[in-house]
Amino acid sequence: MTAIELSGVTKTFGTHTAVDDLQLTVPRGSVYGFIGPNGSGKTTTLRMIMNILYPDRGEIRIFGETLHSSWMERIGYMPEERGLYKRMKVADHLRFLAGLKGMKDARIEVRRWLERFDLAPWANKKIETLSKGMAQKVQFIATVVSRPELVILDEPFTGLDPVNTDALREAILELQRGGTTVIFSTHDMNMAERMCDFIFMIFRGRKVLDGTLESIQDQFGNDTIRIRTEDGMTVLADLPGVQKVNDFGQMQEIRLASGADSQAILGAVMRRTRIRSFDIVRPSLHDIFVRIAGPETQEADHA
Amino acid sequence: MHRALRFALREYIAAVKTKGFIIGLVLAPIMMSGGAIAFFLLKDRVDTTDKTVVVIDRSGVLAPAILEAAEERNARDLYDEATREKVRPAYLFETVVPDEADPTSQRLALSERVRKGELHAFMEIGSAVVHPGENTDTRRIAYYGRSAAMDDLRGWVQWPINNTLRALRLEDAGIDQAQVSDLFHWVEIEGMGLVSVDEETGEVSEAARATPFESLLVPIIFMFLMFLMIMMSVPGMVQSVMEEKTQRIAEVLLGSIKPFEFMMGKVMGGIAVSLTSSLVYIVGGVVFVEAMAIQEFVPYRVLPWFFVYMLFAIVMFGAYAAALGSVCNEPKDAQSLTFPAILPAVIPVFVYFPVAKEPLSTFATWMSLIPPFAPTLMILRIATPEPVPVWQPIAGLVGVVIFTLLSVWVGGRLFRTAILMQGTPPKFASILRWALRG
Repeated sequence: MTAIELSGVTKTFGTHTAVDDLQLTVPRGSVYGFIGPNGSGKTTTLRMIMNILYPDRGEIRIFGETLHSSWMERIGYMPEERGLYKRMKVADHLRFLAGLKGMKDARIEVRRWLERFDLAPWANKKIETLSKGMAQKVQFIATVVSRPELVILDEPFTGLDPVNTDALREAILELQRGGTTVIFSTHDMNMAERMCDFIFMIFRGRKVLDGTLESIQDQFGNDTIRIRTEDGMTVLADLPGVQKVNDFGQMQEIRLASGADSQAILGAVMRRTRIRSFDIVRPSLHDIFVRIAGPETQEADHA
Repeated sequence: MHRALRFALREYIAAVKTKGFIIGLVLAPIMMSGGAIAFFLLKDRVDTTDKTVVVIDRSGVLAPAILEAAEERNARDLYDEATREKVRPAYLFETVVPDEADPTSQRLALSERVRKGELHAFMEIGSAVVHPGENTDTRRIAYYGRSAAMDDLRGWVQWPINNTLRALRLEDAGIDQAQVSDLFHWVEIEGMGLVSVDEETGEVSEAARATPFESLLVPIIFMFLMFLMIMMSVPGMVQSVMEEKTQRIAEVLLGSIKPFEFMMGKVMGGIAVSLTSSLVYIVGGVVFVEAMAIQEFVPYRVLPWFFVYMLFAIVMFGAYAAALGSVCNEPKDAQSLTFPAILPAVIPVFVYFPVAKEPLSTFATWMSLIPPFAPTLMILRIATPEPVPVWQPIAGLVGVVIFTLLSVWVGGRLFRTAILMQGTPPKFASILRWALRG
């Protein structure tokens, strides 16, 4: 069963088309990652799913039904820009937001989540006394405390330290195990690769990628070589059959030109230096992202 | 709508729990009636230093009368009878011979003495004041002082001077002094209420003496209470919506409630705050009225109208103010939009006096029927003892209800569009476009 279904969804602001004829199906119980450069339409899409913005055209269905405001109680939403009443106490704030979602008595659930994120001692402190990371965790709790069936998180990991990032990741995966559908947008490609069942990329308002990581990588084939040599980047210049070399310092990533032979490149490099490692791999999500939305695309567009 | 109510409850608790609310509750009426209270407290605080005035009397007849009247006053009025404390300054008059050769130098010399503080003032009485002719120089009395226009002494001295002048003129006309008080007896016209039949006893009741307290002060208190209720919730509304928008709380809330519920939650919170404050004031007022035993002057019949009008006024102004708050991106925007937000509530304050004085005039009637002005001006009119036709408060209310619905509808459209709009400065054209297009 599908949790969300977008068909032909279009949204314009003045003359700018923020989202253009978008089709998307999010299966129930999945973790769906939204990626895309800034200003590509991620937040607008999420806001339309939340019924905060209305599409100009197209239809959005949630769990098989046309989107309606009554659905709000069953969706948890954490916007990109966090916002909490600074003067309210942590537990009061969480109970208030749970109440808006129709939860009659949220005390037990609030306590459970605060304990889980080591925030129990802060329950009766005002929001303004919290650190940024703590406030972000409170914001996440506010999103999930009412046990929504669908959770939408707009860049949930931004600004968190590695410990809190892990805690949040585990919490999201636990929600998924409990049957919750989770959509989150992120700029962290590693996180998207590791966590998401499906990845969706939007660029200039249009869908450019949609599927499992594997299916996405399949579209690009085994066209990448990760290589370590004794002389690094200097010996990789002017190799035939190479489209691009990305230098990571200790390691270089070579993107093959279409039809090029990896063995010929191996031979060419061997003639120049000693090779420590040579892997033929599929491109990373990061690399795919940059191929679609990087400077090359921008240059090609301007040409 | 339960979400809006829950939101309203938070707004209400957040508002009334603050020290600002409690302080405001006490300070607001003091601020509003501050002038009156200060006047009341300070009216007896007068300078009791004796004041000396030099008189240059060219008429030759007024100076003795002034001196005599001043002596009489100084003997009678300077001390409080109970405490024997000096409460007023003595007025001391000295006469000097007019310097006919060089009157300018004499004036200059006396002015110098006033500047040095030796004298309070000096006055010059023209030679022909008893029977003034065409010559403007000889028929005038001039009073020279540092603030002659506002001088109490100048006001006082006019009485003995004019009484003496009148007596002298009558004497010259051959009228007996004994008849003077009779001739000039001034009759005050008493203001009375209307006579009516008592419904219980069937007897014709005696007309009560109309007082300015009943006909002016009580209605004005009611009107200002309404104004205060609007002012307690509306300017704050612009500010708090702006804060929720800029602190990004708005989007979190919009994940749970519809924009319309958001706006109405804020408005209902405002109603609850105003109801709380008005109840405090009205209960306080009733206790005061009972304690002072002045119930007969208070038109309790106005109270139901007051609450109904207040309810709609808060919704009408609140929705409008919330919508204006939603277009703001920074405190500067909120500051500049607070004035247009409160303007419709402030205009009645400029016209309340003529309306209170003549509540049945065409001007008063029409002004009180204009929806944004109706809550304040209609309450003012019906709180007067004048018989305002029953249809008028009803018609005023119908207009207010229609205007309220319109304000909520337009405000809701504007709010929905503007609340997520970051960084777009509030221009009149865009506000209008958002309101009309939604």
